[in-house]
Amino acid sequence: MLIKAEGLKKDFPRAGKSSNFFTAVYPIDLELKAGQMIEITGRSGSGKSTLLNMISGMLTPTEGKVFLDDIDLYSLDEKALSRIRNEKIGLIPQGHTALLSLTVLENVLLPFILYNKEQAPEERAKELLEKVGISSLENARPNELSGGELRRMAIARSMLMRPGVILADEPTAGLDNENTLAVLELFRKAADEGAAILLVTHENEAANYADEVLTMDGGKLVE
Amino acid sequence: MLSLRNLPFRNLKGYAGRTAALLIFAMLMTVAIFGGTMVIGGVRNGLETVESRLGADIMVTPSDAKNEFDAQTVLLQAEPGYFYMDRGKLDEIARVEGVEKVSPQLFMASAKAGCCSARLQMIAFDPASDFSIQPWIADTATDGEMGLMDVIVGSNVTVYEDRIIRFYDKECRIIGQFAPTGSTLDNCVYMNFDTVKELIEASFAKGLNIYSEYDPDNVISDVMIKVAPGADITAVAEAIQNQVSGVSVVTSKNMVSGIGDSLRHIAGSVSVFTVIFWIIGMLMTILIFTLMMNERKREFASLTAMGAGKGILSGIVTGEAFSVNLLGGIAGIVLSVVILSSFKNLIGQGLGVGFVLPSIATMLLLALVALLAVILTAAISSRIVIGKLSRMDASLVLKEGE
Repeated sequence: MLIKAEGLKKDFPRAGKSSNFFTAVYPIDLELKAGQMIEITGRSGSGKSTLLNMISGMLTPTEGKVFLDDIDLYSLDEKALSRIRNEKIGLIPQGHTALLSLTVLENVLLPFILYNKEQAPEERAKELLEKVGISSLENARPNELSGGELRRMAIARSMLMRPGVILADEPTAGLDNENTLAVLELFRKAADEGAAILLVTHENEAANYADEVLTMDGGKLVE
Repeated sequence: MLSLRNLPFRNLKGYAGRTAALLIFAMLMTVAIFGGTMVIGGVRNGLETVESRLGADIMVTPSDAKNEFDAQTVLLQAEPGYFYMDRGKLDEIARVEGVEKVSPQLFMASAKAGCCSARLQMIAFDPASDFSIQPWIADTATDGEMGLMDVIVGSNVTVYEDRIIRFYDKECRIIGQFAPTGSTLDNCVYMNFDTVKELIEASFAKGLNIYSEYDPDNVISDVMIKVAPGADITAVAEAIQNQVSGVSVVTSKNMVSGIGDSLRHIAGSVSVFTVIFWIIGMLMTILIFTLMMNERKREFASLTAMGAGKGILSGIVTGEAFSVNLLGGIAGIVLSVVILSSFKNLIGQGLGVGFVLPSIATMLLLALVALLAVILTAAISSRIVIGKLSRMDASLVLKEGE
C-alpha cells in the first residue's frame, strides 16, 4: 500500500484575528511505501502532528492532496473516508483514546465492531495485547491503567484490523525503555510484513528501527 | 459480546452517576405529565361518578343544617354528619307543582366510641319511594333483599369474614358493597328506615346523639326530588324554597356548577405544576446530556480516529438519549401508577374531591403521550449533541489537553 502526500499545506486562523492566518505546515510532498517505516522528529509545535492528521484523513488540508494507493482521500465523502480510515489506516493519536465504559480488551476490539456484526476477533485482540505487554490487563478498565499502558492499548487497537498504513503520534510517550523497544520492534515487524508506517516521535531510539528519519522544523520537512 | 448496538447501553452503564441523574429527570417528566393528567382525570371521574350517583334533580335539607351542610360537603368531605327535620315536610314538598317523585333519606353517623366498628356516615332510604340509591344496588352483587339490620357498604368500608358491622352495639349484616366513587360515598353505610331507626334509638340510649329530642319515626334528613318531565328544575327549586318553610334547597345544576368550578381550579393548578415540572425536567435532561457529551468529546474524537463516521456517532448518541429517557419514562409511569393506586383515597381527601382512577385504556393512552414527550426530549438533546459533534474537529480535540 502506498500513501502519498502532494503539496500538503495547513493554515490556521489566529485566535481573535479573523483575517490573519499562520501556516502550521508549508507545502510538503511525502511518499510512504508498503514495508517502509519513516520517523518524523522535530520540536514541539513544528507541525508534525498536523501533518500526520492530514495524512490520516482527519484534518482537511488548506492545500494539497493525500492519496492512498490511487484514492484521493479528500475527494471522498465523509462516510467513505471514515470507512477507509477504519479498514486501511491504523491511527494512534496523542494522549489517551480509551472509552472509559469498556474494558481494555473491548477497547481494542472497537474498530472491528464499528462496521461488522460478526463475532469480534477476540483472539487477535488478546494476541496484540500480549505483544504490547498488557495481556494481564485485558479485563481492566482504562481508569485503572497508567498513561504508558493506555498508549500500548492504543497501539494494539491500531493493529487490530491489519491496516496497510499505521500512523502513530508519539506512540512511545510515557513508556519505559523496555516497553519502548518492544513497541518499536512491533512496528518494525509490521513494516517488514508489508505495512507502511509513519512515526511521529521524540524518541531517539526510533531512528534505529526506521528506514528513514525526517525532521520537521517550522512547518517544513527536512532530511 | 460487545457490539455497536449495545455500545450505548455500555456507555450509560459506564457513567452510572450521570445516567442515574438523567433517569431521575426523565422520571420526573413522566410523573408530571402522566401522573398530573391522571390526577386531573381521576378527579373528573370521581366527580362524574358522584354526580351520576346523586341521581336527583333537587335535594332539600333542613335550613338549620345549612351552616354545617351543603351537598358537596356531604359528598366530598370526610367527616360524617347528621341533621333532622319533620317528616311532614315530605308531603309539603310533594305537593309543590313540578315535583314528580320525592324520596326521604335519614342520615346518621356512627360514633368513634367502642360500641361502633368505625366512624361512618349512615344513609337510610325508603325502598318504596327511592329512585337514587336502588339503581346502584341493582348493579351491585348483594346477598338477597335488604331487610331489617341489613346494610350495603361503600367501597372503603372494611368487610370482615363474618360480614358483620356493629353500630351502637347493634350488629348489622353486610349484604353487599358498592364499587368506588372516590368520594365520601365510599365511606357510607346504606340501610332502610327500619334499621336506621333501631340505630338512632340505640344512639339515644347511649347518650351519643345530640338530637335526642326527636322521634325517629317522624324525622327525615333530606328529600331527594325528581322533577316532572318538562318542568324547570330551578323554578321548582324556587317554588319549594318559597312554599316550604325551614328548608334549604340545592339543585343538581348548582352542584354540577360547583363541582365544575372545583374541577377547573384543581385542573388548573395541576396543569401549571405539570408544565413547570415537565419544562424543568426537559431542560435538566438536555443540560446534563449535553454536558456529559461535552466531557466525552475525546471519546468521540477517538472513535472518529478509529473510522467511526458521523452516522455511527449519531447512532451512539441517539441510542443513549432514547434508552435513558425511555427507561426513565417507563419508570416514571410505573411509579405514578403505583403511587396513585396506593394513595388514591388520600389524594382525594387531600384535594377535597372525589378521585377515581381513569380506565386502563385511558391510562395506556396517557402513558403513550408521556412517553412521546420524553422521546421528544431525547430527540432534542441528541440533536444538540449531534450538531456539536458534527462541528467538532476531532484532530484538534485529540491534541487538546495532552
